[in-house]
This record gives sequence, C-alpha cells and structure tokens, in this order.
Amino acid sequence: MKAEAQVLKGHLDMLLLATLENGPRHGYAVREALREASRSRFDLPTGTIYPALRRLETAGLVKGRWSTAGGRRRRTYELTAAGRRRLAGDRAAWRDFTSVVSAILEPASWPATS
Amino acid sequence: MAGNVLISSYLSGLRRRLPASLADEVSDGLIEAYQQHLASGQSADVAARAAVTETGDLAHVVGEFIRQAPGRSTARTLLAIGPVVGGCWIATHAWSWPMPAAVRLGFGAALLFMISGLAVAATSRRSYRRTRLTAVAGPGLVILDATVITTALLVAPVLSWPLVIAVAASLTRMALTLTALPRIS
Repeated sequence: MKAEAQVLKGHLDMLLLATLENGPRHGYAVREALREASRSRFDLPTGTIYPALRRLETAGLVKGRWSTAGGRRRRTYELTAAGRRRLAGDRAAWRDFTSVVSAILEPASWPATS
Repeated sequence: MAGNVLISSYLSGLRRRLPASLADEVSDGLIEAYQQHLASGQSADVAARAAVTETGDLAHVVGEFIRQAPGRSTARTLLAIGPVVGGCWIATHAWSWPMPAAVRLGFGAALLFMISGLAVAATSRRSYRRTRLTAVAGPGLVILDATVITTALLVAPVLSWPLVIAVAASLTRMALTLTALPRIS
C-alpha cells in the first residue's frame, strides 16, 4: 500500500476533483468517497487530503465554504467551473494514456519480426 | 472534543501548530471519524486510535500543510525571479545615479531584510507561522519596487532600454505579489 500511496499522490488532484463532481463534500466525506470507490485500496489519511483541497482552492479549482455541523465548524468544498474543465481534461488525458499503455501491454498485439 | 486524552492531545497540537481555520477543518474530520468508530461499537480508546490513524500523524499533517502553504510557494516564486529583476536593474547602472549614500544603504538593508524573510518562509518545514512571513516581506518588496521605479523616473539621467525593461520587470513582480498576497493564510 505504501508504494500505491506514492503513485496515488501523482493523481491525487484528479481523484479529489472526481469525488466532488456529484456535489459538495467535506474533507472526511471526500476521504470516505475515495475509499469506497476504490474498494478500500485508496485509504489516504485525511491529513493528506485537507492540504490538497486547500491547494486546489487556491488554484481556483474548488470553492470552500464554512458551515456548522454538530456544533463544529465544517468546511465543505464544491467544484468551480475551472475545476470541472480541469477534471474533464484530466479524465480525457487519463483515458488516452491508459488505452495506449493497455495496447502496449497486450501480449498478442506485437507484430512478429523475422 | 472532550472525553478522550488522545483526541484532546491531537486537537491541542493542531491548534498550537496551525492557523485556526486549518486546525478547525482537520479537527472536524478527526471528531467525525472518532464518532463514527464509537457508533460502530468500538471502545473510546480503540475509536480514538483508529480516528488518529485515519487522520494521520500530527507532524505529517502539519508538514503537508506547510509544504503546500501559499506563503511558502509565493516566497519561492519571488526568490526565484528576484535575481532576474535584480539583474535588470544592474543593467541600468543604477549605482551611478546621484543618490546619498545613506539612501543606498537603507535601500540595500531593506532589500536584504525582505529577502531574508522570504528565505525563511520558503524553507520552513516545521512552522506554518514562518510561511506567513511572506505576508510581510511581499508587501515590503512591492514598496521597494515602487520606490526604485519612482527614483529611476526622477533621477535616471536618460531613458534607456535597460531602464524600460527593469521598470517592466519590477511592475510584473509587483503585480504577481499583489495577486498572490490575498491567498496567503
């Protein structure tokens, strides 16, 4: 899982944006959404997710707002228009990349040389 | 969140080391996790340990906030472009302008002070507070840029291309700094 977490960090922004695609979530809910969608394989500490959400907010990709829940202050994030555009671009690039890699890894696809 | 020593200790550590808004956000997640583990039937101690594990080691959490702090990245950007802007002014032979030695020394000392502040903010690894030095050094740098531009327009003997480029470089840095400053928390 350690190595997987390192690889995951390279795609963290895209995954965080994806978890917010269907509506606003707070940090803990983002973590739970990632964990559930990955069938518990991506179990990032929330302490990694909060700073990343703040960075995405600084970049204008998400927008945070405070509310109160259970007597505590809670910060909820939602995608901005720029965030939706970035997610669409990242998703298209990822699909393109994985299709190319899959084609290369497919054992039967190599032409024989003589 | 009273009731558990581990949770209370974690929360006080957060409040000591992070600005209130960041500490509040992480606290909410920690308490949410703790309550969910309690609701699933775990004992308070087991629930607290699980919640802390899910949140992450305190030093790591604080370190991540510091690493991604807007004050730190802005300081790094300003330090990176500093030599370029400085080089542009050196090309104008600004040292030959008719200026009192005390003014030159004062300007140099102020510049050194701002650079030191940015260097501390850019290299901070354990203190979030230090990354906020950019909120002081950044405006200071804007004032210095404005001062040097005004001085140049008043005392520079001729309007040369190097001077135009240096003024443009300083104006660009001022705009960059003023855009980034509101984001520093």
